[in-house]
Amino acid sequence: MKTTKEKIKNIFGQILEPFALGLLALLFILPAITVMNLTPITKEFEKLDILGVKTQGDVLINLVGGSHEVFSEEMLNKIDEQSYSYSARLNKRGADSYSKPIMKIENRKEEDIKIFFFGQTLTNTRSMIYLIIDNEYLAIQDSKGETFDHEIEIPSGKTVTVFLALENLSGVQFSEIFDLSIKITE
Amino acid sequence: MSKLLKRALKISLTPAILMIVGKFLGILIPTLIYDFEFVVQNEMMGISSVQILFPDTATTLFVNSISNLAMLILIAIPTIYLIIKTSIYQTSLENPRTVVKITRLNILKWITKKNTSFLQIFIWSSFLLISTAIIVVHTIQNMTYTWIGISSGVIALFCIWGTIRTFELEIAKIYPEESNYY
Repeated sequence: MKTTKEKIKNIFGQILEPFALGLLALLFILPAITVMNLTPITKEFEKLDILGVKTQGDVLINLVGGSHEVFSEEMLNKIDEQSYSYSARLNKRGADSYSKPIMKIENRKEEDIKIFFFGQTLTNTRSMIYLIIDNEYLAIQDSKGETFDHEIEIPSGKTVTVFLALENLSGVQFSEIFDLSIKITE
Repeated sequence: MSKLLKRALKISLTPAILMIVGKFLGILIPTLIYDFEFVVQNEMMGISSVQILFPDTATTLFVNSISNLAMLILIAIPTIYLIIKTSIYQTSLENPRTVVKITRLNILKWITKKNTSFLQIFIWSSFLLISTAIIVVHTIQNMTYTWIGISSGVIALFCIWGTIRTFELEIAKIYPEESNYY
């Protein structure tokens, strides 16, 4: 025979069971949502000094991103204050020309800056690789695999968009990794 | 309320807290060490209400990768520990050679029944799978270094295998194979 106390305990246990199940589900869902919430994102924020005046700061280099059938797995890594490395996978493609905006460079400094570019692919697939900056074509690697470095000047306060362009006369059946070194020189 | 549910709730608390702590410390420590500039913003963006903002993609990628790695380490180490301990404990019950090896290695005190339940391994592995899913999605979105995504995938596969093995051992206790007796 169950006592009244045991019966009440049993009824409470049965009432609490669905809530406990919900709590268990929440214990799995809440950390996942919190972790996603804590994921840092990139956003340019305005620098204000104590007088509330915008200060001229650094050189900002940011990925444009987006998806493209030929250019994928884009990565931009900051090596130190002056150097960055960009890499992208150039997927298999037909004989044609392709281009994509890859990064935006913003000169927030009070003086003009110079940016040095050097890039190459690990394997030569007889493609011409260019950077397009302000409608100017800068050859980075030619169809023989020869590489060329370039230096461009960005005036103070100006933002330039860098395009990566590819040109190949025959189809390429394999994907390749393209690496680009970017150095900021004063 | 059933004992199983009570135990599941009790076990789930630690990995849930560790997951959040790992992610938080993974953001805080590199930000303080490298003195990164950051801003915390409160804006409703999908399911997200708090955003940690960094001024450039390279810093964001680095901080997010380190925080994901910290979260993975904090969840994976106890999970792997539980799987290895349970596996050795179960094998020692059936195989005298394992007992001899354990004695030689002087870890007899460590190989006990404590922390060798299937429920505990299952819950920790589930949290590891959730962490891995988040890391793999971030890797696909180029928000985490590829090697961290691959490592988390490999660890998750190992833990799934370990969980299945523990389940088989538990089942074998209830329904022993006939070959063991005849």
